[in-house]
Amino acid sequence: MAKKRKIIAAGVLLVSVHLAILLAGFVAPADPAAQNREFPFAPPTRLHFVDSRGHLHLRPFIYQWTTRPDSFNEYQESQEREFPVQFFVSGVAYRIAGIFACHTHLFGVEAPAQIFLAGTDNYGRDQFSRILDGGQISVAAGILATLISLVLGSLVGCIAGFYGKWIDESAMRFAELFLVLPWLYLLFAVRAFLPLHISPTQAFLLLIGIIGTIGWARPARLIRGIVLSARKQNYVAASRGFGASDAYIIRRHILPHTYGLLLTQAALLVPQYILAEVTLSFFGLGLSEPKPSWGNLLANLQQYNVLISYWWMSLPALALIVVSLGYLSVANAFHERLQSVSI
Amino acid sequence: MATEATARAPKTALMRTTALSKSYVQGEFSGKRFVINAVSDVDLEIAPGCLTALVGGSGSGKSTLARCLAMLEKPDAGEIWFEGRTLSFENLRELAHVRPKIQLVFQDSAGALNPRFSAAQIIEEPLEIQHREVGAKLRARACELMEEVGLSPDWADRRAREFSGGQRQRLAIARAIAIKPIFLILDESLSGLDLSTQAQILNLLLDLQQSHSLTYLLISHDLTLVGQVADYVGVMHQGRIVERGSPQKILGDPQHPHTQQLVGSVRVLESAFRTARAGSGR
Amino acid sequence: MRYFGRRLVHAGLLLVGVSVLCFLLSDLAPGNFFDEMKLNPQVSSETIVALRAQYGLDQALPVRYIRWVKSVVRGEFGYSFAYNTSVSSLLGLRARNTLLLTALATMLAWLIAVPFGVWIASRPGSWTDRLSMGGTSLFLSVPELVIVFALLWLAIRTHALPVGGMVSTGFDRSGPWEKLWDLATHLVIPVTALVLASLPILVRHVRASMIEVLKTPFIEAARAHGISRARLLFRYALPAAANPLISLFGLSVGGLLSGSLLVEVVTGWPGLGPLLLESSMSRDLYVVVGVVMSSTVFMIFGNLLADAMLFIVDPRVRVE
Repeated sequence: MAKKRKIIAAGVLLVSVHLAILLAGFVAPADPAAQNREFPFAPPTRLHFVDSRGHLHLRPFIYQWTTRPDSFNEYQESQEREFPVQFFVSGVAYRIAGIFACHTHLFGVEAPAQIFLAGTDNYGRDQFSRILDGGQISVAAGILATLISLVLGSLVGCIAGFYGKWIDESAMRFAELFLVLPWLYLLFAVRAFLPLHISPTQAFLLLIGIIGTIGWARPARLIRGIVLSARKQNYVAASRGFGASDAYIIRRHILPHTYGLLLTQAALLVPQYILAEVTLSFFGLGLSEPKPSWGNLLANLQQYNVLISYWWMSLPALALIVVSLGYLSVANAFHERLQSVSI
Repeated sequence: MATEATARAPKTALMRTTALSKSYVQGEFSGKRFVINAVSDVDLEIAPGCLTALVGGSGSGKSTLARCLAMLEKPDAGEIWFEGRTLSFENLRELAHVRPKIQLVFQDSAGALNPRFSAAQIIEEPLEIQHREVGAKLRARACELMEEVGLSPDWADRRAREFSGGQRQRLAIARAIAIKPIFLILDESLSGLDLSTQAQILNLLLDLQQSHSLTYLLISHDLTLVGQVADYVGVMHQGRIVERGSPQKILGDPQHPHTQQLVGSVRVLESAFRTARAGSGR
Repeated sequence: MRYFGRRLVHAGLLLVGVSVLCFLLSDLAPGNFFDEMKLNPQVSSETIVALRAQYGLDQALPVRYIRWVKSVVRGEFGYSFAYNTSVSSLLGLRARNTLLLTALATMLAWLIAVPFGVWIASRPGSWTDRLSMGGTSLFLSVPELVIVFALLWLAIRTHALPVGGMVSTGFDRSGPWEKLWDLATHLVIPVTALVLASLPILVRHVRASMIEVLKTPFIEAARAHGISRARLLFRYALPAAANPLISLFGLSVGGLLSGSLLVEVVTGWPGLGPLLLESSMSRDLYVVVGVVMSSTVFMIFGNLLADAMLFIVDPRVRVE
């Protein structure tokens, strides 16, 4: 039972994170591209319930950051005015899924104060908003690339397993080529062979194309295995005896056996592919500035002074870990359910 | 060649094979390939309206022959005639026309019925594929067939795996007769069932043969059973038919050593049974 | 011996296949190294044409491939445009460094994972077991990248270890012991990162495999004979559990190589990883192909090693 609760918790967490990312514009208080040059590397805004005079407020509030008079890159809270955190405020316009224009935000504070839940970077851009926005790229890349891999893998696996003989042999040998290469090396090499300086949209599409395409081999092998054993069943032979076409047999008798595996594979591949995008963007081979992705956000850490002095710049890693954890728990759950169900 | 052979084929045979052969390559074992000659040079005639039986031990090639006759496997050599016409895998149109007329009932009903399907879905499948019925009529026909084989239509939505062995075999039979075949191949369809269920299914099959004017090819290793129901018997051994004739002749006066061995073991069992019964004082 | 013969032939075919794939990919590449040069008005187009001819880039793909294969057989892997030196000299050094890192990390990871996995498998359901399972679950979700940075942060904060690179300046002038020490301290961060990244999955697999084996009747019988716990676990159960683990070893090499790419670049370890990155960015064709082939060789070698171990450990494989 504890296990079930853990899985439900993981599922809920995953869904809420995805929802937050999908509605990034709504959840984020600021425009991810908006720069505040006067606040480079500001630490996360602290939330208070008790003010400097010792009064308790029910609604959390913040103090504005101001630069310390003695140094130019350290901050202190200016305690002159409390800015309560308000919900459903009107702010900068954004688009949901690129279609619906909106300008209500989940929370915010009154101007001229700003709430930096995750601090700012060297241009003073709100990291919380950037993490959410970047999450859209990274998570979408992971999911879309997974779809590509699974579709390609299913196609090849089905055909190889169903028609067998030389089709199967050649397909599996080809798959072996992809499996024998360390995947990150292959990813980099393929990326290398394609144009470097391309627009963000092109980069995004290219990324999911590459990641998805080179990952076809493992799902293909697994699907092929299932198709091979399903094909030998006598109910498939009986179906053929009734005059069923190959397409009918594949659709009605063979594909249903693959659904469980596809779900588990999806849950395993998505975090891997998110990580692939993050890695490529981190090294400058994926999405580059100014469009945020968890990868190029983490790239800031390559400068050791950022790594040491500005801890909040590593928060995208936390987002990555949370998402991975969610997906892996779900994958575990699927795997266990699959084991108990026989063909 | 073909016309000559057709002229030779007795007009009374429903199905005929000449020099039918099929072999399998059983994997590669460190470079060597093991070729198994499942069926070698088999000449067989199926008379219409009768029950022809094929007996033999395991590995004698009975099931492979059954699958070849049901056009589920492509023979390596030889020819098959059905209703006077040659059947081949090349002539797809001809094949599609003939398929509904020849149906196979498998031994292992658990493997022959998709466990995720409901009883209704199983019976509806051939009807659907052959476009015999649609919609509500499809379901009605399926229920009709269920009743005909002795299953209650109330169970139409139960998954195949929820049925017992005997009930599953009834389902398989219902599915097989759904598209009104004229020739039914029963590949060890009674094996693996307990004796009373066997008897029930056998009776069902004999009734259906009467009501639907079916021709049966019964494949079995059970000589006693075959002796009771068959009109003609063929004995298979290592892929060949080594003896054929009426059941009385095969059981009473076996000629081929293998047949003698088979018949002999039946006698041994019978006498052992008799002795046991005598011993327990019944 | 026939077993190995077949495996070697198989490996050779794989290498050929991969090389063909690489060359095909390279041909698809729009643009090449000299595109950047073309933009420079000071370099005339004749120079570029001459350079291309010199490097053999103007010939058809099959011709280029054959030339490349011929030179590979002679031990040369083409020419690097960026470094202006032969690829093999570049590869040799870098490959050695990557091998050092990866081999060390692999050994360490397995040396820790096997005893630990066996130990927690012998007491399933205990709090150590549950803690380990939880811990490994968590660690599986932490990407290698994060682990490396965490370690770097630790190292910089505590000034305990040198950060970045393989050796310190003044390496050449030190004595042998100092050299060893220097190398070792530089190895700590990358090796720890790799080990931490691969431990969770290894431990889980060892545990799962052992639990399966411990359930079998023959272990029960051995236990009934009164064989001591340690002996039972390591002399009886572990060899039986070894088969899937050795296969895992073959697979884990690939993961470790990919991981090492990351770790090398971030920590500045001069291995194949940074080389691949640089040559990718500069479209240094033959270097990229060379690096990919080298990593494939490592993978294949790892798999062959796994096959060899399987042959030795599992008698069922020998019968085949």
